[in-house]
Amino acid sequence: MKMRIAKILTLSPSIAKFTLQPVSGALPVAAPGAHVIVEIPGPTRIWKNAYSLVSSPEDRGQYEIIVRRVEHSRGGSAWLHGHASAGDVLEVSAPQNLFPINRLAKKHLLLSAGIGLTPFLAYLHTLNAPFELHHLCKPEDEAAFRSLLPNAANITLHTSRNALDLNALLAAQKLGTHLYLCGPDNFMRVALATAQTLGWPDAKIHQESFGGATGGEAFTVHLQRSGLTLEVAPEMSLLETLEAAGLAAPCLCRGGACGECELPVLSGLPDHRDHVLTPERRAANASILTCVSRALSPELVLDF
Amino acid sequence: MSKSRPIYAPFKLDLAGKAHLIVTNQPEVPELEAALANIEIWTVQTIAPGVQAPIRDNTRAFRAVPELFTHLAHRLSRAATGLRLYAIGTESFIWDAHNIAMAAGLSATEIHLTQSGPLVRRVICTHCKTTIEDVPQNIVTCPGCGAALFVRDHFSRRLAGFMGVKVDAETPGQIPAAEVFVS
Repeated sequence: MKMRIAKILTLSPSIAKFTLQPVSGALPVAAPGAHVIVEIPGPTRIWKNAYSLVSSPEDRGQYEIIVRRVEHSRGGSAWLHGHASAGDVLEVSAPQNLFPINRLAKKHLLLSAGIGLTPFLAYLHTLNAPFELHHLCKPEDEAAFRSLLPNAANITLHTSRNALDLNALLAAQKLGTHLYLCGPDNFMRVALATAQTLGWPDAKIHQESFGGATGGEAFTVHLQRSGLTLEVAPEMSLLETLEAAGLAAPCLCRGGACGECELPVLSGLPDHRDHVLTPERRAANASILTCVSRALSPELVLDF
Repeated sequence: MSKSRPIYAPFKLDLAGKAHLIVTNQPEVPELEAALANIEIWTVQTIAPGVQAPIRDNTRAFRAVPELFTHLAHRLSRAATGLRLYAIGTESFIWDAHNIAMAAGLSATEIHLTQSGPLVRRVICTHCKTTIEDVPQNIVTCPGCGAALFVRDHFSRRLAGFMGVKVDAETPGQIPAAEVFVS
């Protein structure tokens, strides 16, 4: 879908809200938790970044996304912050929802950190059961996030001045509570480990992480079926390298959350950075999620 | 066997849980392979008519199943996430426990069911909705409407029982020989 940037609202030096309107027609309805892939034109290449929609699911006239300028950005968020202006037209995918609200929950416990708040802003439009939202952020971002949230007793912002006791919070939840996690990798790891130690079943933990590909050492990938050998540059992801070579590699969330991009590994050692593979499947090293994972060995051979 | 019949795993503690509650309507309490602090066993045992068995260790005996279920609903409404529920017993008992647990907000992965004891069935008469407990064979007379019922081999998880339909609807009085349940 071609969408025009209608408005850019700067919330803090590193956080901005973009209002996108369709060049023509009405937009598909997007249930809370949905994201879109935005194609961002860079000087040397196109970036495809996933952003959660924060607008009301009922609003078919515009989508709103909130973009944080990533430190050491590989390009996408820096362009949106530095170069995009109202009137620019971008290619935006139809919304996908990998992080829906569980409607059977008796209570929703929403935990987010940093820019991970965004899917919950969409949740706030339609939550049907009692909920509690705890958001962790840096003190310099507090004002920006506070401006996005209603002032309510069940919504708490935590900075270093008001630390969250994660263990006590998770230990005190009744049986019908569902837990939703969204934030950077280290936050997700700690929250997930705390919940699992307390006996939370996987069925009640819902998570989404759009840390996205962070880059790393360059490596070589050999594609057995295509007969291609490609170099994955430090700032490129494996998926982006496949796409740049003109291959129709599977993908959906581009953040290691959905598993759509999984490809079989024939040899080499993957550096698993996703949230999908179980510990057993990680240890087997028989497949890789191309959108975020890289290689620990100099070369990977994939069945693709 | 009908596709609607659930398949049960042998009893085993789910060690991902932080607290464990075992409910059973059978006299034998399961062997616990792990010595955990946070295990409770709820049973239905009487030592004499109307006299409740004494409470010992982590075992609590109730006078009857309805009393156990009333306490179960109350307990689950106050329990914290991390609890695993195990129901061991006849099929209607374990699914009644399952349905109480689901209503309390447990998910299927937090509930473990083990079928144990006699292969008797709860039968629901489709004609008058009377519930008949502990039916051992596939032909039973409904105490509500007097119909001779054939017990269909189709399990309702919601009702924790099987459907009974009039067996002699075509030719009144022609009732086949009953077969004892083997599953």
